[in-house]
Amino acid sequence: MAKDKLDLLQGTLDLLVLRTLATMGKMHGYGIARRIEQVGGEAVLLNQGTIYASLVRLQQGKWIEAKWGTSDNNRKAKYYEITTRGKKRLADETANWERVSGVVHRILKAGPETGEIVT
Amino acid sequence: MIARWDRWIARVRSLFRRKELDAEFAAELEHHLESLTDEFVQNGLDRKEAHRRAVLALGGITQTRELQRQVRGFAWLDQFLQDCAFAVRVFRREKAFTVTVLAVLAVGIGLNVTVFSLVNTTILRPLPFPEPERLYWISNRDGTNANTDLSSVSSLVEVWEELARTSRTMEVIEAFDPFSVRQTYRLTGAGDPETILSLNVSPGLFGTLGIRPMLGRLLLPEDAVLHAPPRILLTHQLWQRRFASDPAIVGRSVQINGAPVEVVGVMPPIDVFSSVFFPAVRVDVYSPLCNDVERGWGNTVIMLGRARPGFSSADVRADLKLAVDRLQKPLSEKYWSFSARPTPLKTRVVGSLQRPLTFLWIAAAMVLAIVGLNVGGLQLARGAARSKELAVRYALGAGRGRLLRQLVTECSLLVAVGSAVGLVLAWGLIHFLTSRSAVEMPLLQTLHLGAGSAAFTVALAFLTTLFCGLAPAWRLAQAAQLGSRIGDDGRTTTASLGRSRLRNALVVGEVALACTLAVSAALVTRSLNNVLAIDLGFQPKNLVAIRVDPGAPDPKAQFIEQLLERARSVPGVEAAGATDCIPVERDRSWWLSAPDSENPARQVGCDAHVRIVTPGLLATMGIPLHEGRDFAASDDAQHPTAIIVNRTLAKRLWPNAPSALGKEVRHGGGKAIVVGVAGDVRHSGPEVESGSEMYFCVHQLPQVASWDVLLRTRLPPALAAASLRQVVRGLDPTLPLTKVRSMQAIVDRSMSSRRLLSTMVIGFAAMALGLALFGLYGVISYTVAQRQREIGIRMALGAAASTVLRNVVGRTLALAVCGTALGVVLALAVSRSLASVLYGISPTDPTTYAVAVVLLLGCAIAAGYYPARRAAQIDPATALRWE
Repeated sequence: MAKDKLDLLQGTLDLLVLRTLATMGKMHGYGIARRIEQVGGEAVLLNQGTIYASLVRLQQGKWIEAKWGTSDNNRKAKYYEITTRGKKRLADETANWERVSGVVHRILKAGPETGEIVT
Repeated sequence: MIARWDRWIARVRSLFRRKELDAEFAAELEHHLESLTDEFVQNGLDRKEAHRRAVLALGGITQTRELQRQVRGFAWLDQFLQDCAFAVRVFRREKAFTVTVLAVLAVGIGLNVTVFSLVNTTILRPLPFPEPERLYWISNRDGTNANTDLSSVSSLVEVWEELARTSRTMEVIEAFDPFSVRQTYRLTGAGDPETILSLNVSPGLFGTLGIRPMLGRLLLPEDAVLHAPPRILLTHQLWQRRFASDPAIVGRSVQINGAPVEVVGVMPPIDVFSSVFFPAVRVDVYSPLCNDVERGWGNTVIMLGRARPGFSSADVRADLKLAVDRLQKPLSEKYWSFSARPTPLKTRVVGSLQRPLTFLWIAAAMVLAIVGLNVGGLQLARGAARSKELAVRYALGAGRGRLLRQLVTECSLLVAVGSAVGLVLAWGLIHFLTSRSAVEMPLLQTLHLGAGSAAFTVALAFLTTLFCGLAPAWRLAQAAQLGSRIGDDGRTTTASLGRSRLRNALVVGEVALACTLAVSAALVTRSLNNVLAIDLGFQPKNLVAIRVDPGAPDPKAQFIEQLLERARSVPGVEAAGATDCIPVERDRSWWLSAPDSENPARQVGCDAHVRIVTPGLLATMGIPLHEGRDFAASDDAQHPTAIIVNRTLAKRLWPNAPSALGKEVRHGGGKAIVVGVAGDVRHSGPEVESGSEMYFCVHQLPQVASWDVLLRTRLPPALAAASLRQVVRGLDPTLPLTKVRSMQAIVDRSMSSRRLLSTMVIGFAAMALGLALFGLYGVISYTVAQRQREIGIRMALGAAASTVLRNVVGRTLALAVCGTALGVVLALAVSRSLASVLYGISPTDPTTYAVAVVLLLGCAIAAGYYPARRAAQIDPATALRWE
């Protein structure tokens, strides 16, 4: 997990996938990719294929589970669902992300008159 | 943490479910693409364009699949497996190259593992006893006056007792009687009677060495007192051979010399005496050494002690000297002089092996280096053919690092397979060596293929090959980058020039190492020849020795004379004689003195080897009699004791007298008159100078209980023994005839470690030479192939075939001369470590060097001649059209 965290982009994508599954419930890969694009704009995913790297990683760590099912247009599709472990990670990482982004945000916005040192 | 573990497990598991997971992901991707395509179609695109856009939005099907695979498993492993699969394809295509490299690697690694195991077992590892650095071997006078015989190195029981009692530095001193193993005993009951050898040891000896019995118990102090019930320990080999490894043997009695003896225990498989202290000597049972029995027999024990912690060997030496000095006075009446010299046990056991084995190790490492250079050279040669392939791969997007990794993988794969075969080879070699019980090398029985030795050598081989493989790989990768014009076959680029320079350097290195080994082999061979040419002072050829044990001294020596009388009548037996002490195998010495020539009141004396013989023995053995006469039937108890001395002893006692004949000497028992002067005999083996020797006649000193009958005969030893058995049966049907051996075999055994060393060094040198010539041949053939066009043009312009031939051979010779020059310098440096094993030749002997150099250059010319002839036969027209 420590290794995953180091890689900001990789970790971020995992976080987004977890968030999506937590919000939307069961979804297939295509659905997750489309959802992230719709909510976050096209810029979030370099291309949709990268979502599968994230899905494998999360599934191997048992943060999400997968089951084969049938999609709305009657096709066989693999559905992903967040696990309890996944929910816990989502909560942890969201808090962490907010803390880090808050700090970064404050530093970036700080003018010369603000002398406060953030630790 | 748990999640991390789960991921690891899943990743490892994914390696075994590739197909399944790939299929699953293909279905998932298909769903994704179809859904995306549908969406684009709904937005008004036609189906084909929609699909194209979908693939684009996904980021490519193959790319996505690769990405998923990488995350799913281990990226490096995938690449490694790919590289391996590719390497296997390459190897299949280039069978000749692969087989050559594997064979070379396997032999190189096999030899190295064997030699390193040998070095590790004997020199590097501590002796197989607890806290071995505290163990000392304590001998009497050692090495001085060339007296290395057992009588000179063993001590008086009184000395042992005193040291054990008063020594401040020694925790405990134990002892054994090395002479006891010369006596044979008759083991009867259950099966054929057989003769066994017993060594007398003090009860605490094995405990001091930390040896535990495999069954039963060790000897106890109460077993060693006078008139104690007889008890013995069986050695493992006797237990296995004679008693079929019977676990219930302990506590039972066996019949030895007709009396029951209780077996108290069985020793472990690796026997400390026959594998460590006296290699290649057989011991069957251990009996308790009784001080009171030994007392009065002179120097009979060798001491082994354990120092108290914290004392250095200098402390021990000083302390023992002090203790012995205290004894000097009370004992000086009876004994001339004695001392106690402690030697660290390890030095005593393997000290003399250190230098030869180190040299052997260096030689083996050289072979390994040549192997590495050779494999490197082969890779480079192959690289010429592969530069095109590499250029293509480079052009297709393989990075330089990727190409390098591919080449390193190929290299590693070769080493891995080569090592596996090499280890099997080493296992066989080690098995062969340990089964040679006739080789006099301590600890040989404990030799085994250790994981440590194997790992060390394989690592070394891997590094060597990697180093040599990497240099060409680097060059290749560079060449691929530079010469990435695909149509170019790389024959005229700068890179190929660098490549041939590198190949030349590799070959020069190989020739240099081969030259060094050739010089060493020549030195060792000449030493062996020198040793073989040594005049032993007797003729070992066609001489058979047979042990006859009457068991008790025969006061009139009638029995042995009758036996010899009958033996002489056996057809095929030219002469027969008997002695109690045959050279090389047995030794002991007595004190002897004679009045000083200048001051007759004073006695001068020395220790001399002594043999009690029957008349006719000297002639039988072929020992020349320079003056006087041999013993005769008239030399009996009624006549003054006769003595025959050897030349060395005669010179020593009467340096100024024209003849020693008729002189009077004193020995332990009384006076004797010199009746003959015999030639010197190398009594301790070919390489030990003769010392003082003397002979007494058995009729005047009838104290021999165990004889060696010597037969001069062309019959094979077994047949001679059978004939003698027939003869003996008439005299005494129960008398055992044992230990039938030819004198030549005894002499050979004393040279066995020299022979082993020579064989190994010669083997290494031959292999090195072969590899170097192979390398030389390779580089010249390659150059000729490369210069084919140039040679063609030259010949078209009128160069004669003989000029081309000379040119190519000259080029070979140039490389060989460079290598040889380097090799001679290296040999001069290395041969110093060889000096201690050379005999009768200097480590810088110019003739030997010259011979080795000429041999090497001759072979080099031969190696260059074949490609040269091919070059000379080039048809200019074909060569020019050949591009």
